[in-house]
Amino acid sequence: MVSTKRRRDDDDTDEGTPRKLRARITEEPPDEYEPFEAQTPSRKGRAQQLAENGTPRSILKKTGLANGIHINGTPKSARKLVFETPTKPTKDETPDGTPTIVRNADRSARRKSNRRILERALNGAESEDEALEEGDILAEQILAEEEEEEEDEVVEQAQQAAAQEPIPVPETPTKRGRGRPKGSGKVKKPRSPTPPTELPPHEEYFWQNRPGGTKTSNNTLSAQSLLNHDEYFQAMQSYRDRHEPEMQFLLELHSRAYDQWIFELDEGFNICLYGYGSKRTITEDLTARLYHHLLEQVPYTATKKTPRIVVINGYSAGTTIKDILTTIASAAVPTNVKMPNQPTALLDFLLEYLSNNPSSHPVPVVINSIDSPYLRKSPNPTMLARLASHPCINLICTADTPNFPLLWDVGLKTQYKFLFHDTTTFAPYDAEIDAVETVNDLLGRSGRRMGGRDGVGFVLRSLPENARELFRILVMEQLTLSFVDGGGLGEDEDIPATPRSKKVPQTKHVVSESSQGVEYRVLYHKAVEAFVCSSEVGFRTLLKEFHDHQMIESRKDAMGTERLWVPFRQEELEGLAEDLAGDAF
Amino acid sequence: MEHQRCYIYELPKTEERSPKRQRTNRYNAQAQLPERLQTYRELWAQQEERIQEQDTLEKADSAVQGKIVNFISASSSMPDERKSVIPTGLIVAGPSIASHGPFFERLGRSIKEDAGSAYVVLTSGECPNLKTLLKNLIKKATSRVDDDDEDDLDRPATSSKHGPKLLNYDLGHIQEWNKRNRVSSIVVALQDSEAFDAGLLVDMIDLFHSWLDRLPFVLLFGIATSAESFEDRLSGNSLRYLEGEKFDVTQSDDIIEKLFSATVASTHVRLRIGPNISRRMLDRQKDHVQNTQDFCDGLKYAYMSHFYASYPSLFLKEDIAFKDLSPDAFEAVRNLPSFRQWVEKKLEQGQAQEVRSLLNSNEYMFEQVMLHIKSSQQALSTLSHAAQVLSNTREALQMSPKVRLSSIWTRAASGELSNSPLLRETMLCIKKIPSDKLVLLLAAMQQLEGDYFSMDISLLQKEIDKLLQTNDTNAPLRTQHDVRNDNLRTTVVAQKVLLSKHKAALSEQDKAYSDLVGRFYDKLEAYFDSAFIDPRTLFLSEVLVYDLKSPHTEVFQPKPRFAIERALASPHDYLGCDCCTGVDGNEAALSATQPATAIVYQMYLESGTLINVSDLWSAFNAIAGDGDEENESKTMAIFQRALAELKYLGLVKPSRKKTDHITKIMWKGL
Repeated sequence: MVSTKRRRDDDDTDEGTPRKLRARITEEPPDEYEPFEAQTPSRKGRAQQLAENGTPRSILKKTGLANGIHINGTPKSARKLVFETPTKPTKDETPDGTPTIVRNADRSARRKSNRRILERALNGAESEDEALEEGDILAEQILAEEEEEEEDEVVEQAQQAAAQEPIPVPETPTKRGRGRPKGSGKVKKPRSPTPPTELPPHEEYFWQNRPGGTKTSNNTLSAQSLLNHDEYFQAMQSYRDRHEPEMQFLLELHSRAYDQWIFELDEGFNICLYGYGSKRTITEDLTARLYHHLLEQVPYTATKKTPRIVVINGYSAGTTIKDILTTIASAAVPTNVKMPNQPTALLDFLLEYLSNNPSSHPVPVVINSIDSPYLRKSPNPTMLARLASHPCINLICTADTPNFPLLWDVGLKTQYKFLFHDTTTFAPYDAEIDAVETVNDLLGRSGRRMGGRDGVGFVLRSLPENARELFRILVMEQLTLSFVDGGGLGEDEDIPATPRSKKVPQTKHVVSESSQGVEYRVLYHKAVEAFVCSSEVGFRTLLKEFHDHQMIESRKDAMGTERLWVPFRQEELEGLAEDLAGDAF
Repeated sequence: MEHQRCYIYELPKTEERSPKRQRTNRYNAQAQLPERLQTYRELWAQQEERIQEQDTLEKADSAVQGKIVNFISASSSMPDERKSVIPTGLIVAGPSIASHGPFFERLGRSIKEDAGSAYVVLTSGECPNLKTLLKNLIKKATSRVDDDDEDDLDRPATSSKHGPKLLNYDLGHIQEWNKRNRVSSIVVALQDSEAFDAGLLVDMIDLFHSWLDRLPFVLLFGIATSAESFEDRLSGNSLRYLEGEKFDVTQSDDIIEKLFSATVASTHVRLRIGPNISRRMLDRQKDHVQNTQDFCDGLKYAYMSHFYASYPSLFLKEDIAFKDLSPDAFEAVRNLPSFRQWVEKKLEQGQAQEVRSLLNSNEYMFEQVMLHIKSSQQALSTLSHAAQVLSNTREALQMSPKVRLSSIWTRAASGELSNSPLLRETMLCIKKIPSDKLVLLLAAMQQLEGDYFSMDISLLQKEIDKLLQTNDTNAPLRTQHDVRNDNLRTTVVAQKVLLSKHKAALSEQDKAYSDLVGRFYDKLEAYFDSAFIDPRTLFLSEVLVYDLKSPHTEVFQPKPRFAIERALASPHDYLGCDCCTGVDGNEAALSATQPATAIVYQMYLESGTLINVSDLWSAFNAIAGDGDEENESKTMAIFQRALAELKYLGLVKPSRKKTDHITKIMWKGL
């Protein structure tokens, strides 16, 4: 780190003035003479600059070529030559006595290309199109530079302009295009910014998936803008859907079909409802209607007995086939019969029992969201199909996802004997989805699950001192790692100067996606050194507590080493670190 | 209740009013529903009987099953002889996988009954490896309950009696069981042999072979492709352990054909399905290789829909009396399009008086309806029978391409057959028919002679017999239209070649024969002309033929993805509200009034594979938000809900490429 720092210092001192200078140059490109005169009274400077353009720049060009992105280095060094003494060109480049810049440039080039190879290996698929893109860029650059030699002054102007612009973060492959001189843009094919419209779906797919096709902005949602559960429910309470009457009308339309559906059930078919919107209201109403329908029939008239309808909410977490079978069994089989424990055996038993003791009417089974992740897994559809194919079972189910028929092959479909009805309701999936949770998952902010920073604080307060200490170590390590990552790669001065600028978390996030977090071993040793724990068992016990509260996550990286991290973004992590250091807990 | 996993439904306390009351004062489409359903049940019971007896399910395979059973009992009849190969049945069951399961089930029943063997079906799903296969085999063969607690009870007993205890995948279990039960053979059927791992099959065959001296195994393989490809998968070594015999199961296509002629194209059917629906059902069978059960279900649903939804279907009830009917029923008949056509025709013919009484008098109407139901049914039966005649004719003449009865019937029922190329071609062929073929054709037709086909076949047969007796040559008699009676003459006139056809002189017999064929041809043509009418022009065709595609298609071939995409892309289609039709007449524009998910979905459609949620949010806020900072959290809430719904529907997934980005995974209409 020392070398980079020093270099940065050098840059700072060197560039103090020329920066402003260049700004002026770009402002008045036709007359570039005068600013030079301010520095060097004779015309030597200009002549020299021209002379220098011949030889030393080519070296730098080569390095620029090698790493493909080092272009902003070029104008810098060229500039420097302008106001150093012309007699000793070799020494000029090395204020400390060694040719640091060249070496640094070379070294960083090698380092970068190595890192890029590693990155590509780790990220796998996603970098394949990048590789393509990279090739294009390289070709474009070579072309650009050839032109540059010819019309060198003009381009140099442009390069200066480019160098003058705040260069964001050049080390990610996707952003490499940024470092390219703006002047060479004419080589690029002009691309219309608006996508073609009216493409057939498959063409649209290929258009949108073309290599390097999508450019999205780097904007991020601020941590405050997403709502947490409380805020969400508060906001939702006051929210009234303007389509309430229309949705009611849809429901009313569907309700006219209830009798028809009951007739279909009576004829031995099963019913599957699909369409956009939660269908719970419909199944509830239908169940009520079915209940009354059955109540009017023979075994229930003039008796206290009531029909038993099984309702299963497939969407609720952890619904298993065993739950379903046990509930059905409880509805169909008298309680004094002993039943097997295994689901398959239970199913066999149930079907056999129903065949031998057919009830007066089939047992209605209502399954909400039969395509939920819990009921999708391998043996479940087959077992449900066997259940549904029995004449003594009437299945009414709803399916929410658009592709649910793919769950069943021809054989299963025949067994299910479904009649499908479109029941689009537009009703919100209130019970089916936890909106806040889903969005957090979608955006990789699972850390928000336990209430963010305050939640962590709450948990930590209830834990012993050394647990807090361990968490502090983990947070600090993670922060350091992200700084090292960011600092090592971004060679610009802006990182230490403005560490909380918007770009830093992005850099960190993109770079360390694959190598995110602290190595398990490292953390353990740190913890032992800090006397947090004395054995691995103790260490594990402490970690388990964090795991239970979902405060840390762990993953095996590509090399197979286990890594631990706190699932927060940079800003929140910093806040946490402050809290931890400041004895807030 | 909504967050509970499973529960038994209980009536909510608050609901006092039974929904039954609402029903009574509602529209009268439900009028006399019980009677109609009663009629439906009667009619369907008849059909079901036909399906049962025609079927297929039992009858069609019975021949094959008999063969398989014989094969098994033959292979197990000599138990003393030491066998060196496993008797193996290769059952080529065809590509309709859905019907394999029921087939093997029925096969199992007959094997158990007739051959006195143990029968075990294994599917690839339950046998990922040899160990599991054996476990399952043992479990099924010995019908042992594989409960862990029971095992514990059993084990000490077995181990003390028979030395060391057996592992639960040891075939010794079967041996022991066999000692007690003494079955003549143990039939192991692999239902979907293609899905089994080839290595697993080889291992299994090796193992069974090594046990063959103790256990009388017989293997059955269900094959969907061909026996050759099955053999290719096994090594020569394991093939040597097998002694195979191939059995071809009746393909579901043929069964469907039989079912079709029994249930739709038969003359005794009171309610028919129309050409559109039957075409759909047949196409579905063909395209999605479904099974006979599915066909029956489709037919049943057509019957159900007819009686459930259409009031005039009540007239199909057998011996219905005038007093059973409410005036509404006649009103319903008067609204039928076919009634209107019929009445208009009557008016053209100047029978205004009759039309008046049809409109005014329910009694007269009733009589007419009863009359026409009979006559229309007669016409429909004639049509069906004619289709059968045509099909048999083509078969007897061995014409190609082979056209199935189902497609002939479907075309006939849609009124396309009269003057169609198919019919003309067939008739042309009859014109040229030589006497040997005519004899066959007449024989085939004689079976069809009856109420709906009253041609005097026997008379023709007598005549032709007479002619043939006088024919002293071996060659069959030919008609004047036969190509062989033409000869080509070339003449050269002024260095130009002229081709001219000349009829060869016909012999006396041929002349007589030509005359006979000519008469036959004329009669047949007249018959086809009279039979192949367009059924839709018949009065009461709506009652006698069910041909609505509307509930049928959606119910059996749903398009859930299309429905969801449509709901989200143009919510107006479903909601029918005034606010969401678009902004300023521009239909494509997103309006703020649309449901939040629909707005987000349409923005989703416009974006590329990677979507920046932050930008999505600002776009959404620009459309749906009111610009008020205070209300932003409300907008955010519905945005979050919309996004979560997209995730739930499986349209997006998290992306790890960039922060706050999601990946698009579904393209509309793709």
